[in-house]
Amino acid sequence: MRIELQNVKKIYNQGMASEVKALRSVSLSIEQGAMVCLRGASGSGKSTLLSIMGCVFPPTSGKAIVGDKQISRLPDRFLTLYRREMIGFIFQRFNVLPQLSVIENITLPLLPLGVSPKERVRRAKPLLEKLSITHRQDFPAGNISGGELQRVAIARALINDPPFLLADEPTAHLDTRLSLEFMDIVCGLKKAGKTVILASHDPLVADHEEVDRIIDIRDGQLVLPKSP
Amino acid sequence: MQINPFQRQCNILDYALSSLWRRKLKNAGILVIFSLVIFLVASFQLLTRSLLGTADEILAFAPDITLQKLSAGRQVDMSEARLAHLAGIFGIAETMPRIWGYYFDETNGANYTVIGLAEEKIAAAGFPLTGQEETGFLKRGGVIMSPAVRDNMGLGERRAFSLFRPDLSQVSFRVAGVFSKETNLVSGDTILMCLEDARDLFALDDNAVTDIAIYVTNPLEIDNIARKIAEMMPDTRVLTRSQIRKTYQAVFGWRSGFGSICLLSALASFVILAWDKASGLSQEEKREIGILKFLGFETRDILALRFWESGLVSGLALVIGLTLAYIHVASGGALFQPILLGWSVLRPELFLTPALQFSDFLLLFSFSVLPYLAATIIPAWRSAIIRADTVI
Repeated sequence: MRIELQNVKKIYNQGMASEVKALRSVSLSIEQGAMVCLRGASGSGKSTLLSIMGCVFPPTSGKAIVGDKQISRLPDRFLTLYRREMIGFIFQRFNVLPQLSVIENITLPLLPLGVSPKERVRRAKPLLEKLSITHRQDFPAGNISGGELQRVAIARALINDPPFLLADEPTAHLDTRLSLEFMDIVCGLKKAGKTVILASHDPLVADHEEVDRIIDIRDGQLVLPKSP
Repeated sequence: MQINPFQRQCNILDYALSSLWRRKLKNAGILVIFSLVIFLVASFQLLTRSLLGTADEILAFAPDITLQKLSAGRQVDMSEARLAHLAGIFGIAETMPRIWGYYFDETNGANYTVIGLAEEKIAAAGFPLTGQEETGFLKRGGVIMSPAVRDNMGLGERRAFSLFRPDLSQVSFRVAGVFSKETNLVSGDTILMCLEDARDLFALDDNAVTDIAIYVTNPLEIDNIARKIAEMMPDTRVLTRSQIRKTYQAVFGWRSGFGSICLLSALASFVILAWDKASGLSQEEKREIGILKFLGFETRDILALRFWESGLVSGLALVIGLTLAYIHVASGGALFQPILLGWSVLRPELFLTPALQFSDFLLLFSFSVLPYLAATIIPAWRSAIIRADTVI
């Protein structure tokens, strides 16, 4: 289970006046079980790169292999089906639905999979315990703290037990204590065999000792990949 | 991964229900307005259907053929002597000379329909009566009237009353019976009396009648006999029961159609508003759809979600609207009686049984639930094809 990109390009609004070349011939390979940090300024293309690796959309050209599938030519529907099996995604602003309870938010990805309510709760329980939010499970997500929201987002990303965990600026809205807490959790996931890819320009993430590799990106191109 | 499609739909339905509950104020508002519009349209439809049904029941009492004399295109009196001509037509079972006129009661400001029949015919007709005084023939000076006429005259339990001839001299009558309420649509403003009394009241010539009711032995021969009579008496108008029924249907149908157009316009306006509302999805709703898509919901799941939401709201509105309409019509349909029955001074007191046919239900369904589903699902489709990355 690895991610491999070969000469991947992504152009938004191709052929139009508003055309944007977000990625220009990016090639990289990420091995299973690695923790990688994508680092770059806002607009550098790291979210686009993360989206392609997260099977959100295919590249405009080039080859993208996620897990065991070449996703470059997969239609949107199959991309969705593949994404919900392979990818856990943590958003910058968590993107939980505030009116739903914590447990409802966590089990949302299981609804289109036809998982029964009982089974949904059964799968959520260990995650709630592992992330220490069992006492909040019936609270509306809009009524819990930022740190707890982050844990809800992690639990939701893990509910399908995907091999890849991707996070977009995961510490951008957290204080230092919560950021360190977040890194502890993802390090635990790395140890459990998950491949973790974090898009961030926060030094606390990039300089973390558990990060195996930092991939710098600028203007849609990779810059000097280095090993820490 | 094997997906259980039934459980998947149950999950989506469950989410739709919780979504409706989360936006309960907005959805309750839509439900109330939608139910109200459906109630109005359904009431109109049920009332029309019920009135036509009642008219059909009453027409069972009507003669097979009604014969009237015309002069200058208007109905005029005719002589009872014409009965002799009819005797020569094979297939006529019975003839009944009648006086059918209108009496304006100045004191109470109401028009009554006065019907004069031969004494023996009244007894034989067996009108459903209440408060009956005499069981045998309706004798001279006795009348049968509708409860509405009795109430309008303020008679109470009193039986004696008088009416005025054209020269303003008085004629005394006695209430011999009151029509039962089932016949109210037709008999609502009726006073039934002997032929001679009616002639006396309207100061008609001896042997003069306004029309002749004809009963035919074989119902299949009605049109044939009507044609023979028309050929034999070219100065007459020959009306068959089916023609009268068609007239009823045309009158109610026209009024109902007019009302329905107005109300269906209201329904259309509601659907347009719903469309407008649904197409302008709030940022919150768009964000929710984006999150769901990112988490693995497909476009068809989002559409199913919207389908359940809209289907539940519109289906519930249909059930509520129809139930209220049924109760409204069963209790007299007061809201639409003036439109369907006319603004007569003396309105018959109606006891209607709402009759809902499958075609009515289908029509209501087609004009309410389907457009609402379309009005909400098509814009939902536009939002359902939002790319999952919009939430990143």
